[in-house]
Amino acid sequence: MISMKNVSKWYGSFQVLTECSTEVAKGEVVVVCGPSGSGKSTLIKCVNALEPFEKGSITVEGISVGDPKTNLPKLRSRIGMVFQNFELFPHMTVTENLTLGQVKVLGRSTGEATEKGLKLLDRVGLLAHKDKYPGQLSGGQQQRVAIARALSMDPIAMLFDEPTSALDPEMINEVLDVMVELAKEGMTMMVVTHEMGFARKVAHRVIFMDAGRIVEDAKKEEFFGTPRSERAQLFLSKILQH
Amino acid sequence: MSGFDFDVIERSLPYLFREGMTFTLTLTALAMTGGIVFGTLLAMMRLSAFKPLSMLAGAYVNLMRSIPLVLVIFWFFFLVPYIGAWILREPNPIKVGTFWSALITFTMFEAAYYCEIMRAGIQSIARGQVWSGYALGLNYWQTMGKIVLPQAFRNMLPVLLTQTVILFQDTSLVYVISATDFLGAASKIANRDYRLVEMYSFVAIVYFVMSYGLSMLVRRLQLRIAIIR
Repeated sequence: MISMKNVSKWYGSFQVLTECSTEVAKGEVVVVCGPSGSGKSTLIKCVNALEPFEKGSITVEGISVGDPKTNLPKLRSRIGMVFQNFELFPHMTVTENLTLGQVKVLGRSTGEATEKGLKLLDRVGLLAHKDKYPGQLSGGQQQRVAIARALSMDPIAMLFDEPTSALDPEMINEVLDVMVELAKEGMTMMVVTHEMGFARKVAHRVIFMDAGRIVEDAKKEEFFGTPRSERAQLFLSKILQH
Repeated sequence: MSGFDFDVIERSLPYLFREGMTFTLTLTALAMTGGIVFGTLLAMMRLSAFKPLSMLAGAYVNLMRSIPLVLVIFWFFFLVPYIGAWILREPNPIKVGTFWSALITFTMFEAAYYCEIMRAGIQSIARGQVWSGYALGLNYWQTMGKIVLPQAFRNMLPVLLTQTVILFQDTSLVYVISATDFLGAASKIANRDYRLVEMYSFVAIVYFVMSYGLSMLVRRLQLRIAIIR
């Protein structure tokens, strides 16, 4: 469903991505990990063109992301995205956050959008907070609303950019639980995360990145069992020890 | 000291406020609205990735901020009739009138200042907010209108109002094109009745009270916004 071929990207003269290629099939859960600064967030943002890339190609269901003729808003509306810092709209209530995209992009009526939004809010266990502003919620609650907001657009795939990195430890699980459930339902997911427990539980494949390159792209069992690259072994030993 | 006659103020109050202050406040309110709208568009142009657009807006802002306001008022007063004629393809300069001339001048001039305020406001919004809007499928105008500008506007409200207090005082400069604003009205009576000291003192007090009152309001608003964050 998502296909990347030899994607390279530069910030000025600094190359952040080098010849990255991978595929994500329908219903597949792919975890992207690696040390900070390795380009994993940049890579995932290339998928819905939040970050432009200079070389290579990315297609989502056959539609080229880098093609200037592609209707980007339409393409983006079909891919849900969850950010590290939640990025709910602070000046809107939870319900307004959930309906904005549905009404403005999908053209749903306010009533229809609200019904859909509240159903998803209930699913992430936050229906009681529907009239609150994001600032009145905890980090974990905000991130669950953000997931519900992305789901409200009926996405064909979901991108997660370090969804638990900005959370207090006691809130990480409430967010991961929602993601695990989503994975089990068969949602196509690309997840940048350091949560190896999550990767072990639901990932089909793990991509390991270092210095802008995809160093390892393997089935979960292989990756955790016998990582081929030295860099991945070192990373795993560090991250699994503590 | 016995030569002063403060009754002249009381006698001219209806004229001063009904004619003069109405002109001043209408001009201030409309120029503020127009200036913020035009200024916000300029700010969006200045932040555009498309170089010619940002350079054009930058040049406009720098030009307006480098010329004394009095000069701009003069220029527009004499130029607008010709520009209007050129746009409407009339052979003769069109009649614009002092109010419209002043309104166009102040809107164009203040837009440069409001632009810089809104630019700072837009830049104060985290990049992730824009990404978040785009990721939902919103286009540039929807992301700006629904997400970035409402937040930028709220963050910058105290500064925008402070600029408006300055605008309120600056409108008194329309005396150079003989418009009857508050100062203009007072000055007409002062000259007619030879009561310069009385009238100009009164005008100064009114400007002070209104400006100071508005400043206090802005300060209280600032505190309230600080708490909400």
